[in-house]
Amino acid sequence: MTTTTELLQGTLDLLILKAISLRSEHGYGILLRIQQISRETLQIQQGSLYPALYRLEHQGLIASEWGESDNRRKAKFYRLTTAGRRRLQEETAYWKRLADAIGLVLAAAPEDV
Amino acid sequence: MTVLARVRSFLSALLRRRRLEREMEQEWQTHLETRVEALRRSGMSRTEAGRRARIEFGDPLRWKEQGREARGLGWIQDLGADVRYALRQMRRAPAFTLVAVFTLALGIGANTAIFSVANAVMFRPLPYPDAERLVRIWESNLELGRPTASVSQPNFLDWHARTSAFSAFAAASGTTLTTTSDQEAEIVNAERVTADFLSVLGVSPAIGRNFRADETRPGGDVRVAIVGDGFWRRRFASDASVLGRQIAFSGVPYTVVGVLPPSFRWATDTVDVLVPLAPSALASRGDRQLDVIGRLKDSVTIERAKDELTGAASALAAQYPESNKGWSVRVAPFYEWLIPAAVRDSLMMLLGTIGVVLIIVCANVANLLIARAAGRQTEFSIRVALGAARWRIIRQLLTESLLLSLGSGVVGVAAALAGTRVLVRYGPASVPRLDETSFDLTVFAFALVVSATTAVAFGMVPALHVARQPQAATLQAAGRGATGSGRQRARSILTVVEVALSVVLLIGAGLLLRSVSRLQQVDPGFDAATTMVARVALPSVTYPNGQARSAFYERLLTEIRTLPGIVASAASSGVPLAGGNFITEVRIPGQPRAGAQASAGWRLVSPGYFAAMGIPLRGRDFTWRDRESLAPATIISETLAREYWPNEDPIGRTITLGTFGNRARTIIGVAGDVRQVGLDTEPRATVYYSAAEVGALAPMSIVWRSAVDPASHVAAVRDVLRRVDSTVPLYGVQSLDALVAGSFAPRKFNMYLLGSFAAVALVLAAVGLFGVTSYLVSQRTREIGLRLALGADRRDIFQLIVGRGIALTAIGAAIGVGAAFWASRVMQSLLFSVSSTDPRTFLTVPAILVVVALVACYIPARRATKIDPLVALRCE
Repeated sequence: MTTTTELLQGTLDLLILKAISLRSEHGYGILLRIQQISRETLQIQQGSLYPALYRLEHQGLIASEWGESDNRRKAKFYRLTTAGRRRLQEETAYWKRLADAIGLVLAAAPEDV
Repeated sequence: MTVLARVRSFLSALLRRRRLEREMEQEWQTHLETRVEALRRSGMSRTEAGRRARIEFGDPLRWKEQGREARGLGWIQDLGADVRYALRQMRRAPAFTLVAVFTLALGIGANTAIFSVANAVMFRPLPYPDAERLVRIWESNLELGRPTASVSQPNFLDWHARTSAFSAFAAASGTTLTTTSDQEAEIVNAERVTADFLSVLGVSPAIGRNFRADETRPGGDVRVAIVGDGFWRRRFASDASVLGRQIAFSGVPYTVVGVLPPSFRWATDTVDVLVPLAPSALASRGDRQLDVIGRLKDSVTIERAKDELTGAASALAAQYPESNKGWSVRVAPFYEWLIPAAVRDSLMMLLGTIGVVLIIVCANVANLLIARAAGRQTEFSIRVALGAARWRIIRQLLTESLLLSLGSGVVGVAAALAGTRVLVRYGPASVPRLDETSFDLTVFAFALVVSATTAVAFGMVPALHVARQPQAATLQAAGRGATGSGRQRARSILTVVEVALSVVLLIGAGLLLRSVSRLQQVDPGFDAATTMVARVALPSVTYPNGQARSAFYERLLTEIRTLPGIVASAASSGVPLAGGNFITEVRIPGQPRAGAQASAGWRLVSPGYFAAMGIPLRGRDFTWRDRESLAPATIISETLAREYWPNEDPIGRTITLGTFGNRARTIIGVAGDVRQVGLDTEPRATVYYSAAEVGALAPMSIVWRSAVDPASHVAAVRDVLRRVDSTVPLYGVQSLDALVAGSFAPRKFNMYLLGSFAAVALVLAAVGLFGVTSYLVSQRTREIGLRLALGADRRDIFQLIVGRGIALTAIGAAIGVGAAFWASRVMQSLLFSVSSTDPRTFLTVPAILVVVALVACYIPARRATKIDPLVALRCE
């Protein structure tokens, strides 16, 4: 189980962007979604989500508005902006390239070196 | 786009902090409640769920702080904390804060005040569009000692025709007119100008029109006038329909065709009225009276204009050798003409001085801060031990310095506002644009920059010191009080610097002081006591020629002489030191040397002038009956007599003088030398014409000498003048003493300013020395106690401490004297009759420093002798 302190800040941002890319969500919902997507392997100290959300909002990648949650409580809902969507695409592509590259390195047989 | 969004988010975070905080709390409240619900659904008790949820959430304070940082508020938070901390520190050490603020305010304020003057006089652009294209042009004849002479009318016209470098070319000639209002005669400062004059300057009349070309041609109707804004407000009560109205100047009616804008200046003066000047090709080519200006065409350089004009001048010298041989051209940009080198040099010197004072101020404050940092060392070490980044502490110290500096800056600027007003009021009249000094944006920006720079300058020293200390050692050593050595060295170096700089300033002030005192010992050649001078201007309508004017003066002076208490009275074309220095050519028959072009200054005087002015005269004076004489006479000065008749008496000889008819004249008397141009200029050869014989000029100066206070006769003299002719005004009344004192004014002003700054520097250096010596004593208390316990004499201790102080002073003084050798050379142009390495000054100043050092070290040294060895050795 990886905790937040071991996660790079950028990774958390990416996960958040991904989590709300399908549908706007409030903080708690984003948390659940991340746990869901990562199949319970990623547990985040819950409060640390919010500074990350505020930072993303400050950068203009997500936008927020007040609404009502399922349990009829006042909650702030976050959604992706166009810029955020673009960033998500770029970051995803980057990660894929990185993963491929690492995979190549790891798959190299001793004779290839 | 992201940048804009970020800025917007930042601003909203800044301004709506409380609302955002509430929103955050609301959001997290929901989060926690939702989590609690989820946990309860899985079977936990309420309290258990609540506890669990809070643990999972983490510390809300931490998230709040991170949230604020995420919105870009991080640094503001830190800054706020730093500032509050800094203010607390300052409140805890009121003595230090007061001294530091006072010293800094002094430095910043003085710099701002001098800068505001320099800004108005030197740095502000001239009030003409594209002023770099404007040039002033003179005729020049170095052999005759006339580097910048006015231009004759035919020469002006020929230059205009023969050059192509100028888009506009004009001439002006100043004159004094009179006008009457409410029965009182008033003086009007007028300029006769050609049609292109305003075009050259790039100025258009605010109302009405410029002169037309036909109005400035010989034979054209020249009775039109353009009035200045001030004059228009005074005489026409700002009447907008002034165009077409008539006004009489010197008895001649003029029609007003235009009004100048209020910002108009000619050579930094305001002008009352412009009237047309019609230069004639038929005028005498050797009669030089025009001021010529030109505006260069866009692509033309001043060099090219110079070349063209020099070429034209050479051609004219060949064509008209009698009048133009040896005469060339001098061209200078407007700026150089309006702001003469003397003024610029003075201001630069003052700026340099005040910069040096600022350095001393910074050194002093740095010294203070180092001393204080000693006391705060423990605090810093603890902070570092608790995890503070070293740069954070440095930032804290710099914030304190900046706060101190900016606060002092505000105080300093307030003081500068008052100080500048004093400078402007008592500043010499010869400084152009001095009255335009004001505190505009540039000046405030300067103050800000100076404050910030001083903060960095003096703040760096203790900050770097903190940065370099190994912390663990510090915590231990702070307990023992033995970390002083590095600090001591830094403070000693600063003190040496202060002493050196003070020495430089004091030597400069000393040199100026000696210059002024030498100047005051100069014999002006006349007796300025109990004598008044005033100007009189006769209108040409009622006094159409020189003889009519001379008759007027005879009557006026005779009447004045009858007033009780008046001993003598006379008239002159100009009194010494008051301008009006005209030159004429001199030819002496039978003297081969004088066959070459010689010249002398001339004055036109009434009989009795030499007695009234207290100028020694041998031979005889002019009389009012000279006009009937067949042999025109002249009186020459001693210099001229010595030069051409070194071994014989010139009285009775003939001399031919160019002005007033170019006639041979008999020398009837020899007058003592008078310093006509300035007390710091050698007396020049002078010749005197008799007003009775050649006729008087329209504007003349009258002088009257009385037995008692001459100012008491001013009203009586005015009455006499009114009785003789009520349309003639009396103006420019002052005592000759004031005139002479006024000629010192620029030098004295410089001397006072530099002297004050040097005194301030000395005080600061003394204070610094006192501080360093006190610190030395407190640092070496144990050692001194040890020495005393081992049998040292208290006198030895005293000498030890004082010796240390003197050593520092001696080093500083030596460096200072060395620097002064170099610096005073720069000052040479401001000195009179004093060498820039004047030994008396260079020896006196270090001696003063040593005395001051002794005084400064006395108290700490005495305190050192009072140390009780038992107490010193026992406790820290």
